[in-house]
Amino acid sequence: MVVDVSSHDVLLVGGGGAGLRAAIAVAEFNPKLSVAVVSKVYPMRSHTVSAEGGAAGAVAADDSLDEHAYDTVSGGDWLCDQDAVELFVDEAPKELLQMEHWGCPWSRTPDGRIAVRSFGGMKKKRTWFASDKTGFHMLHTLFQTSLKYDPIVRYDEWFVTTLLVDDGRVQGVVALELMSGKIQAITAKAVILCTGGCGKVFPFTTNANIKNGDGMALAFWAGAPLKDMEFVQYHPTGLPFTGILITEAARSEGGYLVNKDGYRYLQDYDLGKPQPEPVLRSMELGPRDRLSQAFIKEEERGRTIEGPHGHVVNLDLRHLGEEKIDSRIPFVRELCRKYQNIDPVREMIPVRPVIHYAMGGVHTNKDGATPVEGLFAAGEVACVSINGANRLGSNSLPELLVFGARAGVAAASFASDQEAPSSHVMAQANDERRRLEERYLRKTGGTERIATIRKEMQATMEEGAGIYRNGEALQKSTDKLRELQDRFQNILIEDDSRTFNTELTSALELAYMLEVAASIVQCGLNRTESRGAHQRTDFPGRDDDNFLAHSLVYRNDDGSSRIEYLPVTITRWPPSERVYGK
Amino acid sequence: MHLTLRVWRQKDAWDPGGFQTYSTTDVSTDMSFLETLDLVNEDLILKGEDPIAFDHDCREGICGTCGIVIDGHPHGPLPATTTCQLHMRLFNDGDTITVEPWRARAFPVIKDLVVDRRSLDRIIAAGGYISVSTGRAPEAIAIPVPMDTTEMAMDAASCIGCGACVAACPNASAMLFTAAKVAHLGLLPQGQPEGYDRVLNMVTAMDDEMFGACTNTGECEAACPKKIFIKWIARMNRDHVMATILSRPTTRRAHGVSSRAALTDR
Repeated sequence: MVVDVSSHDVLLVGGGGAGLRAAIAVAEFNPKLSVAVVSKVYPMRSHTVSAEGGAAGAVAADDSLDEHAYDTVSGGDWLCDQDAVELFVDEAPKELLQMEHWGCPWSRTPDGRIAVRSFGGMKKKRTWFASDKTGFHMLHTLFQTSLKYDPIVRYDEWFVTTLLVDDGRVQGVVALELMSGKIQAITAKAVILCTGGCGKVFPFTTNANIKNGDGMALAFWAGAPLKDMEFVQYHPTGLPFTGILITEAARSEGGYLVNKDGYRYLQDYDLGKPQPEPVLRSMELGPRDRLSQAFIKEEERGRTIEGPHGHVVNLDLRHLGEEKIDSRIPFVRELCRKYQNIDPVREMIPVRPVIHYAMGGVHTNKDGATPVEGLFAAGEVACVSINGANRLGSNSLPELLVFGARAGVAAASFASDQEAPSSHVMAQANDERRRLEERYLRKTGGTERIATIRKEMQATMEEGAGIYRNGEALQKSTDKLRELQDRFQNILIEDDSRTFNTELTSALELAYMLEVAASIVQCGLNRTESRGAHQRTDFPGRDDDNFLAHSLVYRNDDGSSRIEYLPVTITRWPPSERVYGK
Repeated sequence: MHLTLRVWRQKDAWDPGGFQTYSTTDVSTDMSFLETLDLVNEDLILKGEDPIAFDHDCREGICGTCGIVIDGHPHGPLPATTTCQLHMRLFNDGDTITVEPWRARAFPVIKDLVVDRRSLDRIIAAGGYISVSTGRAPEAIAIPVPMDTTEMAMDAASCIGCGACVAACPNASAMLFTAAKVAHLGLLPQGQPEGYDRVLNMVTAMDDEMFGACTNTGECEAACPKKIFIKWIARMNRDHVMATILSRPTTRRAHGVSSRAALTDR
């Protein structure tokens, strides 16, 4: 049996914020190009929908692009490429305004202007927001806007299993239609990966179940390097057990973080002195890496609260009052009431750090292009890098707009003068179908359970690559992951049905995650310094002499991998100390 | 807690379907409704039976994926709650709970509790966007919009598109959904130029999808997990009358609209 094929000019993998923004950019750049959006979920279910707090863009009278750039660079512990950051802060407000023109209901001030709120690590108020459902409103706006372009064709609930590469050029994908189980080739002259992050390699995360690092693994297998994978962000305020995020906006509106004695403990960790009103770049509005690290120190001192699901501290919003909570952060109240059965108007919210974001990803340039011809990436799956060693809250939504649009234009421009995909890729597509059938669908006799391997992977990631790391634990995780890779070859697949075979997709996702997890610990082990979200207890200082550089992990032909380092681009802000609370 | 679930099982769109009864123990009051279904499914998988298909994704009440009729109520009996937000503390030990898919002609069942809601997308595709080119103004906050207007637009835009309003309506009407989408853009200044075309085209698309008419029953508002107001329907009806009288439709979905408008067009 030969696989079916459909052909387009530009193909997007992922239909979230970055994917839809890129699709619109392609359609606007060249209306003659046919655009395919291939997503394993219906686009409106993409994880952009969960973003709450807001999107940064310097527009206030007292703000400037330079200040936004400096906050981003220092927040990223000088691992950001400053040329990319300068471009990003310049384009961010324009993109946010474009969203306004497309109908995004940004919150406004009483005099009718765009309202901006403060956010962690930002020295000025510059975070645009739509209540505390910013990602939801942005995604709806992008989705509804994408529906007006006829050349955009959607493949909803299609799962991409591999990239088709011939002659060093990416020329499409093989995908599985979940509803029918059909395996099909979808060829294209350019492919943009917009699959988001990989939070699910860890046990406790704000990320949805669909965040398995799909695009990272696909790119890696196609020959593109992954960059700065060791930098994984813990968000300081997640609800215990569910991992549901309590947005940073709760703190920017004035929430306090207190330990078991009701003490605002952040004052003990070089983050400033407590004031009744929120102070920018200080205390609860410090950067996420520092706040999460402070939690661990506080736990070591025995000053956290023991709960049924591990230690927590409290987020106190009671002094804000019901009116402010309902008008500025209503979703926080809704989440607490529905999932935690508490009312933040009257009770404190138990929180603990939770895996939230991957600073690293597929290595791209400022146009979203990877080193592999015809392959682009944008959004969390990519690493440009504007986030460096620690992303600031509210930089990721504008990032997916700015770089989604840039990648869309670059891919459209590339596709406009490319030949149609070569016939060789069809042979590859048939090989891929055979691989899927032999390794998964018709596989018999395995003994390893998918859920067991996944659980062990998540446990070893938390053990080795948590908030504080050391060489010994990272080495142990490396060994463990290698063992899990071997055991994965012997997995048990009982479901041989074609319709919505979730066991098959779980197995494919586990393969992606094992690859991504290995790159995280490998880069973490190799980076013998502490910077931003990567804290080594055995190498506590930042080492600019050796590590003012991006980690690039490449796949060797024999399946092993190697790490190379690429110097950070410094334009105007030479490395210095990160100072908060002053 | 011990519960008995009567669950609608249907192999595909052509299967007549029917209820099957499952009993489950070990349900904790802290579990969500979806986690209870997970529990039943784990059991079914162990027994080698086909698990119950149901839609779910974010499990934090924002994505609009989940949607089940529980004891006759879309998303269950609690107001302003999605299925994933519904927790078992609402039920009592020994309860029997009836679980069904959304039922509407425009939402064919795909399998068990999963229905095809793409008809809602097609309503949006008929006009739920801004296509006038507004360019990129140099100063982002130079064009003020009254805060009240934005807040109202945001309330309307809070629709997650789950389809509970359709499932609750005795006529399976999508008026609340369509009205919310029309109101969101119709309230904002950038939505004004296409206002009349939008309402005509989206209402036509809604009718084309075989959604029923509105008879002011109000079940939609009661079932909506995001508290979308029924007043948007009144607003849409008003806009539709105005548009029918005043508009000279020019857009691509002009069929069905043009004949009505032609009556008033000199």
